[in-house]
Amino acid sequence: MKHLKESPFFFLLLLSGILFTILAAAGKNSIYKDQQYHPEKGPLLSILFAAMNEDVYPWQLFSEGQVAETESSKVNPAESDQDGQSTDGTSDTTKNTEEGDPASDSDDAAGNSTVSGNSAGNDSSAGNGQPTVSGNNAAMETGSGTGGNVLQEEPPYGENRPEPLRSSTEEEYLNHISADIYGDAGVKKAAEYPFVTVDESYFDDALFIGDSRTVGLHDYTDLSEHADFLCKTSLTIYKVLEENFKGMGTAEEVLKKKQYGKIYIMVGINELGRGTTEDFMEKYTEVVDTLHEWNPDARIIIQGIMKVSKKKDTEDKVFNNSNITGRNHAIATLADNYHIFYIDMNEAVCDEEGNLNAEYTHDQIHLLGMYNDLWKDFLMTKGISG
Amino acid sequence: MVNFAGMEFIFYFFPVFLLIYYLVPVKYKDVVLLLGSYFFYASGDLKFVPLLLLLTLCNYFMGQQIRKLSEGYKMHDWQKIERKRKLAFIVSLDVTVLLIFKMLAVFVDSTLFPLGLSFYLFKMISFQIDYYRGEIPEKTSFLSVAVYFSMFPQVISGPIMRYNEGTEPQNRIYRLSQLEDGMKYFAAGLGMKVLLADRLAILWNDLQMIGFQSISTPLAWLGAAGYSLQLYFDFWGYSLMASGILVCLGFDFIENFHHPYASGSIGEFYRRWHMTLGRFFKDYVYIPLGGSRCRKNRMIFNLAVVWLITGLWHGNGLNYLLWGAVLGLLIILEKVFYGEKLKKLPVLRNLYVLVLIPLTWVIFAITDLHQLGVYFGRLFPVFGGAGVAVNTGDFLKYAETYGKLFLAGGLLCVPGVFDFLEKHRKNPVVIVLLLLIFWYSVYFVAGSGENPFLYFQF
Repeated sequence: MKHLKESPFFFLLLLSGILFTILAAAGKNSIYKDQQYHPEKGPLLSILFAAMNEDVYPWQLFSEGQVAETESSKVNPAESDQDGQSTDGTSDTTKNTEEGDPASDSDDAAGNSTVSGNSAGNDSSAGNGQPTVSGNNAAMETGSGTGGNVLQEEPPYGENRPEPLRSSTEEEYLNHISADIYGDAGVKKAAEYPFVTVDESYFDDALFIGDSRTVGLHDYTDLSEHADFLCKTSLTIYKVLEENFKGMGTAEEVLKKKQYGKIYIMVGINELGRGTTEDFMEKYTEVVDTLHEWNPDARIIIQGIMKVSKKKDTEDKVFNNSNITGRNHAIATLADNYHIFYIDMNEAVCDEEGNLNAEYTHDQIHLLGMYNDLWKDFLMTKGISG
Repeated sequence: MVNFAGMEFIFYFFPVFLLIYYLVPVKYKDVVLLLGSYFFYASGDLKFVPLLLLLTLCNYFMGQQIRKLSEGYKMHDWQKIERKRKLAFIVSLDVTVLLIFKMLAVFVDSTLFPLGLSFYLFKMISFQIDYYRGEIPEKTSFLSVAVYFSMFPQVISGPIMRYNEGTEPQNRIYRLSQLEDGMKYFAAGLGMKVLLADRLAILWNDLQMIGFQSISTPLAWLGAAGYSLQLYFDFWGYSLMASGILVCLGFDFIENFHHPYASGSIGEFYRRWHMTLGRFFKDYVYIPLGGSRCRKNRMIFNLAVVWLITGLWHGNGLNYLLWGAVLGLLIILEKVFYGEKLKKLPVLRNLYVLVLIPLTWVIFAITDLHQLGVYFGRLFPVFGGAGVAVNTGDFLKYAETYGKLFLAGGLLCVPGVFDFLEKHRKNPVVIVLLLLIFWYSVYFVAGSGENPFLYFQF
């Protein structure tokens, strides 16, 4: 007792340390079973603290371990991949949707044909012979007007999504490798869509969802004058649906209040070290499907995760470009080129080797403020006309 | 493991070491401290352990030689000359080693700079001069000298303790009250480092991420203030942890910071900031050169020398030289022109420090001189620092995000606040507060253990 009186802080430290260790040990097989424990890096109690980052708290020990068991097996839309390729036909024909102008469909495959707004074809005011889409409504009208001629029936949402070619291995999981289990078929198919050049008013009915990279797009381009943004540093796909965005509310509140024409999403860098490609893809699919449910008429434009610079790529076991590519290849397969699209802004900011151009970044991960315009300019070449 | 604010140190090395240290008899405590320190150093920089050992041997050996020459009733002139020669030799050797490794780091590879070299070599120089001057009265044993040079709480970043500030094992205090105080300092330091400095570091990181050309002028000033606080709490926190560990081991507390931001002049600031380094330069460079008790021109020269060396010591870029030069210039101006007038302006002199010091830290922070120019252009846009893609709303955004940290940090800069807590450290409220600070810090440290980028989430 005398000792305790003399040095209460020291004993409280000891006692609390022991208490946390007991709690961690007690929850090791229940609430903390997803925590990887590396004894060489710290004591057992570190899992208790690490778990708090994933919103698992010690007191959940006493409410029985029924946490985190509910999520799987909810959304699994891809029933079979037998006819997974049949949608190709659709995207071929979408090339011809615009204005019925024969000239435009002989345009090069890069998909830079442009759509005139209100009255198809005869608007030459945009100069240099390249009419641009003005205004979202115009684009919609054109789409619905001509869609009937050339487009096939609206494909049912969420069907025929390709299955992965293989599963991630245990080793890949343990080493935080995001395996490329889908291959580039999704990316290729998504690129077949004939995107058009648009002007800024195109984004008037757009919503951007993203992490700190999208924060940069919001803060350092004038897109925020047109579009709404749900973006937050450290956002992950796991948090998109739950996050309460400052000044905006949750995604659900926003999307139930307002119907958007386009929803852009780019997340995935923060959770690169978490789970496998399958885990990420499962959640991503759930998020996209949920967004669609809340805003059925909106086009969802999945943006491939922006890459990191070569320096980062070679030095980092987690935040590197092969992991990013593995995940991009997965989410690209969600694109049906009708409800969901996939675009990859990396082509606007990467060097020949496919790494984020070192000149455009200081921290090897984010675009410097002034270079966010490259991203915006890229987005303006990826308008959806139909 | 060499990071005091890391899980391995807090939960493995330190408790195990402390337990052994307390269990062994007094006469073996220094052996344990030496072995523990070498183990600690080796875990951080194995390849340079032999260098530390070699320098320790050289310095101990020369120290004994110098001492021997002074034994006897009266020193002859040849003895005096010989002592001086030997001192000059060993000090030049120490300085040369430092310079060689600095060169290697600049021109070959920065990983070639041994861990803690600039700190433990300064202790070696300090030891030689103190020994020469007779400030270390008794004969020293190899063990206690080796412990002094390598002791793990100080080997990496100081404080640069003097030899006679350390106590021999038999004179140290081994009581629970010592552990109690030491752990409190450690927890306070850990909190400053993890909860303030590391979090404020994200602001500076953000500014670099945005690019200095795109930050607004108010944000540039906020960034300078944030960096000033970050540096302060990083180093003060570190020093508190180091001294807290020493207190746990039975030593006296070594003060390294004494509320510098409450200073009334730049000169005073550097008597309160990294005090053990300032004291080193004062005692071993400035005063031997003549200090301020000489002609004015000579004093100006002395100050210039001290501040150029200070600049060089802090880093390998030109910006450090510039930083040292600017500080030297300000201190010379204070000494020669307006120092006395400043003393009569109570609030203005504080503002003078609070505006100028952050500007000098900006020079310290930005190693690329072009980028440094860009930053000053944003700080003072009247001089033509036009921004590119500046978001004028950025200040509010960051002020909101980091406001709490500025508030907490600002409060701790007020001398009375920390002193009050220190004085009432036995109060249950303070104890509980420190306990919360400790575990909240551990929460951050544990969370970032697996993935250091949890600090810098994207």
